[in-house]
Amino acid sequence: MSGIYMLQDPLAQTYDVIVVGSGATGGWAAKQMAEAGLKVALLEAGRAVSPKEFTEHMPAYKLKYRDHSPEIARTRPVQKQCYACMEYNYEWFVNDLENPYSTPQGKPFTWQRLRILGGRSLVWGRQSYRMSDNDFKAASRDGYGDDWPISYADVAPYYDIVEKYVGITGAAEGNEMLPDGQFLPPMKMSCGEILMRERVKAKFGRTVTIGRAAVLTENHNGRLGCHYCGPCERGCSTFSYFSSPFTTVKDAVASGNCTLITNAVVSHVDMDNATNKARGVTYVDRLTRQVKEVKGKSVILCAQALESTRILLNSSTREYPNGLGNTSGALGHYLMDHVVGGGASGKLPELKGKANANEPARPNGIYIPRFRNTPSSGKHSRFIRGYGFQGGADMDFNFGAEGYGAQFKNAVKEGEYQISMGGFGESLARWDNFVEIDKDLKDAWGIPALRISMTHGENEAALMEDAGVTAAEMLEATGAKDIKVQANMEIPGMAIHELGTARMGTDPKKSVLNTFNQTHDVKNVFVMDGASFVSSACQNPTLSMMAITVRACANLIDRFHKGDV
Amino acid sequence: MKRRELLKAGAFAGAVAALRPPRVAGQDTKGSSELTPAQSGVDASNDLAAPGWKPKFFDEHQNETLIVLSDLIIPATDTPGAKEALANRYIDLVLAAEKPEAQKAFLNSLSFLDGESMRRYKTAFRYLKREDQDDLLHALAYPKAGSGWTGEAPMADPGHTHFEFLKQQIARAYYSSQAGERELGWDGAFAHGPYKGCEHGEGSHK
Repeated sequence: MSGIYMLQDPLAQTYDVIVVGSGATGGWAAKQMAEAGLKVALLEAGRAVSPKEFTEHMPAYKLKYRDHSPEIARTRPVQKQCYACMEYNYEWFVNDLENPYSTPQGKPFTWQRLRILGGRSLVWGRQSYRMSDNDFKAASRDGYGDDWPISYADVAPYYDIVEKYVGITGAAEGNEMLPDGQFLPPMKMSCGEILMRERVKAKFGRTVTIGRAAVLTENHNGRLGCHYCGPCERGCSTFSYFSSPFTTVKDAVASGNCTLITNAVVSHVDMDNATNKARGVTYVDRLTRQVKEVKGKSVILCAQALESTRILLNSSTREYPNGLGNTSGALGHYLMDHVVGGGASGKLPELKGKANANEPARPNGIYIPRFRNTPSSGKHSRFIRGYGFQGGADMDFNFGAEGYGAQFKNAVKEGEYQISMGGFGESLARWDNFVEIDKDLKDAWGIPALRISMTHGENEAALMEDAGVTAAEMLEATGAKDIKVQANMEIPGMAIHELGTARMGTDPKKSVLNTFNQTHDVKNVFVMDGASFVSSACQNPTLSMMAITVRACANLIDRFHKGDV
Repeated sequence: MKRRELLKAGAFAGAVAALRPPRVAGQDTKGSSELTPAQSGVDASNDLAAPGWKPKFFDEHQNETLIVLSDLIIPATDTPGAKEALANRYIDLVLAAEKPEAQKAFLNSLSFLDGESMRRYKTAFRYLKREDQDDLLHALAYPKAGSGWTGEAPMADPGHTHFEFLKQQIARAYYSSQAGERELGWDGAFAHGPYKGCEHGEGSHK
């Protein structure tokens, strides 16, 4: 980052740990390190967030455009592709004009981001699933790609820690692909979902379970149980879903060992070339554009997979001309995002009753764990790996009723029992899906931006095609009518599960991180977010990201105690 | 349209305090605060009912046509209809901020209605007798079915497509209004927990 005038350093202290990013993983890193007695600086690129700006109880008619604002597209043409970016909360999402990235012709990628305390944990989908050794050791089972250098047994104790603290509602199923965890009481299923569970099990032997979600079904760790108002992504006045500002970050700060620095847009890691160690990070103050340096004995990047990799790529030195920690050349490569777009929807006419505007809104659905290429199913002839389904069934108002006039008005109120499911498929790790620095593009803070090159491949297409078929057959077995099948692929990024680009591995020639998320090249630089993933599995990744972070922190705390940092 | 979009709400919303951080020159390309109006506690529910309202997007004929149409699509019954809920004003507001393609699509469908009306009755839709308006809408509301005898597939029916598009816009405007929420039976409480789910025995689901 030569060329930026360095102002006098206002931050005199040398911290034990600098954590970059305050979302799901950064919150955990700050909490674990600070509670272990280490001095932590937690840097967040955005502003602080207050419960006063939560809008989950505001009816749409109070909004100028009743949540269909065409104005959002002016500043957030990319962000508005996210279902959770709405007229209520769009300011939480990044301004696309200030935060550009590029993609090659014909390779669209949608990158949905928040820069605010808590990051995407404020608006995430909350679905929380463990990975199993069918995922960690997938390469050994089907010959594609690389195994993780760690196994389920390595991560399991940390899943326990995370789940007990976060509070995950769910039901144990003993499923071979989806290890059970430390669950709060499960949410209930609707009648249609019970029918689906019974009939799908009877006909196909597949499991339909209630979603496992980071939403409290009873009071837990000082937070209140869910009051079932519905739209978690607008905030929660009872803090019943897990978001880092009101849990992990709060704990970290309460320990007295964590200094929270908001509006700190980190540009790069600063290296001490003589010792081959990082001495801190440089950031641009988001508001004043002053350039500042924070000094630390170790640096943990939790900035979101692509942002952490961007920081490393922007941290080149003479010794590391292609990016810090990139001796292997693997930095930026093996980008993954779950493939979505295959599924089906229909109606369940056998269930009568009437739509009701005064029912509790359950912020969760059903989940069907992967049933393709499992130990008991054997190998599929057309693709490797598999997909899981999220879905649900409920009586809803029938806004699509035919006709008009009083009859239409009445039909809307009568309602219609709707049932649907959509697949999340594994995204294979491929070298040619990658990010690099776009030399001609900088963000509003002068920091070089990313060029993202990603396509889903033939295996992903085959997964979604199969997902359309199996979704339809399961809906049919449930008794659904008027079934509509979707078997297309949404563009990469649409699952908002970006993973990889700084993968872990035992071979420093082929991977960026070791098994404890430490860069092979620089001993005091760590990447503890989704960038470390070796394969994507098909489960929603945040729970695994948090568990891997806590595991890596335990190792780092140990090193500090042994004086090995 | 999902029910979530129509939502639930309540007492607290008005109490949300405006909490604007200091503005910093040059920081934001559009120079706004960093909170959405909703997050600042702005309540826009009565904006459309303001006295002296004038359309921003429609001309007078288009606006009047939309009022007539919305009253036919969702009439007042024992509850108010789309006309009383000012569905036309909401649609005008949204279209005024929309991209040209979306504006064009709406006007195109509205013009189709007038075109059909003139072709059949030599009169623009809003000046038709009520029963003629009803006849025309009835013809557009139900798609031409395919023939079971000849195996003929249903024909593309542009009239039906235009009708459904206008109907969905009016329905969205109506059901997202305060009157629409009441029509759906919402009691005004923002939560009705806990979620009880299915409480029936096997074979007795409903």
